[in-house]
Amino acid sequence: MSASPASTAATKMQRLLAMVPWIASHGGPTVAEVCARFDLTPAELAADLEVMWLVGLPPYTPDALIDVVQEGDRVWIHFADVFDAPQRLTPEQAVALLTAGASVLALPGTDPDGALARGVAKLAAVLGVDADQVLDVDLGGAGAEVLDVLRAGIVAHRRVHLDYYSYGRDARTERDVDPYVVHAEDGSLYLLGHCHLAGGERRFRVDRIAAATLLDETFEDPGRPPEVAVFQPDATDPRVTVDLDPAAAWVAEAHPVESIESRPDGRIRVTLAVAAEPWLARLLLGLGPQAEVVAGPEELARAGARAAARILARYG
Amino acid sequence: MSSQKLERLLNLTALLLDARVPLPAERIQEQLDYPEDRAAFRRAFERDKEELRIMGLPLRVERVPGSLPAVDGYRIPREEYALRDPGLTTDELAALHLAASAVQVEGLPTTEGLLKLGGLVGEGGPELGVQVAPLPADPNLARLFGAVSTRTPVRVRYHGEERVIDPYRLEFQRGRWYLTGYDHLRDEERNYRLDRVEGEVILSDLPPFTPPSTSVPGRARGAWELGGEAPVIARVRIGGPQAQWALQHVGPDHVVETTGDGAVVIELPVTNRSAFRSFVLSFLEHAEVLAPPELRDDLVAWLRAVR
Repeated sequence: MSASPASTAATKMQRLLAMVPWIASHGGPTVAEVCARFDLTPAELAADLEVMWLVGLPPYTPDALIDVVQEGDRVWIHFADVFDAPQRLTPEQAVALLTAGASVLALPGTDPDGALARGVAKLAAVLGVDADQVLDVDLGGAGAEVLDVLRAGIVAHRRVHLDYYSYGRDARTERDVDPYVVHAEDGSLYLLGHCHLAGGERRFRVDRIAAATLLDETFEDPGRPPEVAVFQPDATDPRVTVDLDPAAAWVAEAHPVESIESRPDGRIRVTLAVAAEPWLARLLLGLGPQAEVVAGPEELARAGARAAARILARYG
Repeated sequence: MSSQKLERLLNLTALLLDARVPLPAERIQEQLDYPEDRAAFRRAFERDKEELRIMGLPLRVERVPGSLPAVDGYRIPREEYALRDPGLTTDELAALHLAASAVQVEGLPTTEGLLKLGGLVGEGGPELGVQVAPLPADPNLARLFGAVSTRTPVRVRYHGEERVIDPYRLEFQRGRWYLTGYDHLRDEERNYRLDRVEGEVILSDLPPFTPPSTSVPGRARGAWELGGEAPVIARVRIGGPQAQWALQHVGPDHVVETTGDGAVVIELPVTNRSAFRSFVLSFLEHAEVLAPPELRDDLVAWLRAVR
């Protein structure tokens, strides 16, 4: 997306309003440092500073203008008292920065007294708020020890051993995984990696990892890990056909359906591939009276009702 | 914008920042590089003022003291313009930079803010080991944050009703933004989903509110708490293998009993019964609603309807 001319100009002016007080108060920083901090090439910096040559206060005589000196690889700004402080953060800038800070702080394993925590607290103080009180970001649950092990494995390219609860199969498994990355999405943390049990790339919900240990085996840097789809239907997976009430129509959006048909009674009929019976059972339990299995292998068609009966057995 | 115009805007900003009293437009025209023609000056000056406002500069229009008839004057109050130096050390600024490159809110850039704080320091790299998909933005998010920080009551249309709310805090949970605040109409503290706010939030001109002295709980709320139904406390037993996972969801504070086989009994405040049912059913036969009878019966009826 290319920025409009107006927004580039506003960006330029806002950058100058931030950069001038910084240079003025840092006693001749190097051009390289200014360029790195303010995201400029040396040529862009020179062009920006040239604009400042004719900026100042009435009567705009040389002694009333801001003084910009570039000598060798260093740059000085004098007599810029009128711009002795940067502009305040807008609410957009403030909420974006505090959200970023609060999000990372909320990740288990982040040092609660570290540089980020101190930085967020100082920023919140000049904004006149207490960051803990006004903003709370939860990216997803995870045990601090588990996440620590995963992060260590990711950074050092070391294999990890997981005690994992597979929700779709309602079973606990032990497996070795080469951890590529943990990512946060829709309120949960996921580990992406190569699973040696499954023999391929898989995605694991971090809050379902009961325990993780760091192993000695290392693996090669995967580069940028490919996106692992949550569920890829297999041609050999059995199919079931389900009628859904309008209230349950989201199922057709949330899962890969192979056919979809509107029924005269206002319901929709979808066909789904089922890789694991507990997955279907959970789906049907969640839908309750809003769904009815109308076709499929007998043992699958009754999966929801059987799961319901198992739960009902607890209720006498 | 030509560099000439950029230069003029910078000089205009300097002039207005330096002004002790509001400056009339004529004075500004004399001082700066504006057209001499009155109409052309007016047009150029209007555009310049608009640009400064878009950049968020606090441009004030006030009566020029002693003018008769009254004449409008302009200034930028330094105390409203200048950022107080937060005194960030290099490692703190680098940590903020790293966090800002890991977590973004869609459409809300972090670079401009970082530049004001001292620039981009350190690598905004992936060394956190965690990637975060950009958090969804909400059109009212920045304005509400502004209201939270200035303690300004807001007018909000929610569920077809106009409400006045003292906004206490913003929360991001389960992929959504929520506001917690005191609802003047309901006379109690409530949660609102930002994506259900209808239209724009309006800053009221009511006096600033005092935030509650007892701190609002800083914990993640469960989906079962995010609803407007009459609150009820639910007791649930969760079997051993699943207990640990359940605790990660609800936190240890909700545990009222731990049995020898590793099972736990938890108590949850429920104001959203359908979310509570989904939560309990996610444990299959490993969880059982113990109380109250109302929620237990509701779950049994639901399960009997599974076909």
